[in-house]
Amino acid sequence: MFKKTSLAAGVAAFAAFLFAGGSSIAAADEVDFTAMSAEELAEYIILESGGFHLDAAVQEGGTMRARMEQDDMQRACSVVGGGKPDAATLEAVRTAAAASITYPEGGIKLGDWQKGRELSWSGFGFRVGHRTDEHSGNRQPGGNCANCHQKVGDRDGGTLGPDLTGYGKARGTSDAMLKYVYDVIYNAHAYFPCTQMPRMGAQGVLTHAQIADIMAWLLDPESPVNQ
Amino acid sequence: MFKKALLALPVALAVGVSANADSWKAPEDVLQGLIDSIDSVYLTQSEMNIMMMPDNPALWTADDGRELFHTPRGPNNVSLEACDFGKGPGVLEGAYVELPRYFEDTGRVMDLENRLVHCMVTLQGFAPDDPAVRQRHGSNSEHMQLQTYIAMQSSGMAWNPPMEHPLEVAMRDAGEVMFYRRSGIADFNCNTCHGEAGKQIRASVLPHKGTAEEWSKAISWPAFRVGHDHVRSSQHRIRGCYWQMRLPLINPNSDASIALMSYWTDAARGQPAILPDMKR
Repeated sequence: MFKKTSLAAGVAAFAAFLFAGGSSIAAADEVDFTAMSAEELAEYIILESGGFHLDAAVQEGGTMRARMEQDDMQRACSVVGGGKPDAATLEAVRTAAAASITYPEGGIKLGDWQKGRELSWSGFGFRVGHRTDEHSGNRQPGGNCANCHQKVGDRDGGTLGPDLTGYGKARGTSDAMLKYVYDVIYNAHAYFPCTQMPRMGAQGVLTHAQIADIMAWLLDPESPVNQ
Repeated sequence: MFKKALLALPVALAVGVSANADSWKAPEDVLQGLIDSIDSVYLTQSEMNIMMMPDNPALWTADDGRELFHTPRGPNNVSLEACDFGKGPGVLEGAYVELPRYFEDTGRVMDLENRLVHCMVTLQGFAPDDPAVRQRHGSNSEHMQLQTYIAMQSSGMAWNPPMEHPLEVAMRDAGEVMFYRRSGIADFNCNTCHGEAGKQIRASVLPHKGTAEEWSKAISWPAFRVGHDHVRSSQHRIRGCYWQMRLPLINPNSDASIALMSYWTDAARGQPAILPDMKR
């Protein structure tokens, strides 16, 4: 029986103060944080009480609110403590991911590994806030691959994902391999449900052509990745 | 010799405190203690920063903060000595490692930055849009100077955010949900980068939330960020993380930012704070 009134008064006073400061905290007079589950409170402070600048425009169109609201995969794969959901949930995530994948007209082909090299290195794109990435003709979003994958060819990267050194050398360029690599870049949850790998195609981060270039970087025998 | 004069302040503050595990320790000694206690690539990744700790530029920022803290300022012409950071008016020693905490006078769980804003506005009479209140970032901002000074009085003490009030628990638990909540165009959550020990984003070794010794350094803000050439705050770190995750700008006055801090401080419970720290 925590005192709702004193909280409400405090919140209201603070909200008034923030309004004076030009901020946009919503009035939250009737809200008792202690009566909510942790999940309810998190949703409330993220989406309903001015926690984030949700009205900011985003590069893909629309506003940040859409990025902040979770889709089915994100909800299913957000497990407190960091584990994986149960097998049935994982299977549902996997099935939905497989269904999300679209293929380029004329089939999956390798693009230009030199373009793929730059795309895999670039961490530019889709950031919004105190500085905003302006996508323009000569500055397009990158693949961010090197943030997480080590030694993608000739430059060092991170280690959150697997090391991709010599990736194509060991695997070749059969149709099955091209489809597998394409799918993993497009939506890796089709093979590894609740993976940490971003859905580069399904979320619209990379175009079909950019995926083809990054695939060439990984699979083309000429690419430094495979030298 | 400047440095010596600077260090005399916290050392003097520590005098009179019983020599237990929770007495003031120089930040470089705290860091060395953590390095000696565990095998961690994160803690040892920058030899240069470890070497530079005794000459941390944040010590100057703290010194500027000391001046500001004790000087009568604002429309009411009073110092911040009557500000209660949770352990009573004017008590700074050990106050920061017990934040965020619930404050009866506002009915709210508050972190250092929001508590400081509260006192600048209610005690000193600053308007909320006064530059002293609004400007939160950069070594030259009054906020960073004051925060660094206040936080420094807890160096070497164990993180110990209170979990007595139901709101403190509610905020910590909501912060935990936020930590694991995937969203955005890249599906990231905090755990993407802080869920495993020894992982790197490009060349940078990331701190692991589950390794308390690493996490203690990770949350030791204010810290001088060498790459920025500025002292940075906890709120600045959170802003940067959300930006990199391709998620929206966080409101530093919000419960969202405070909940996350409640959780991350709780995750470092018992480990000694390095204040001020140096980071890449």
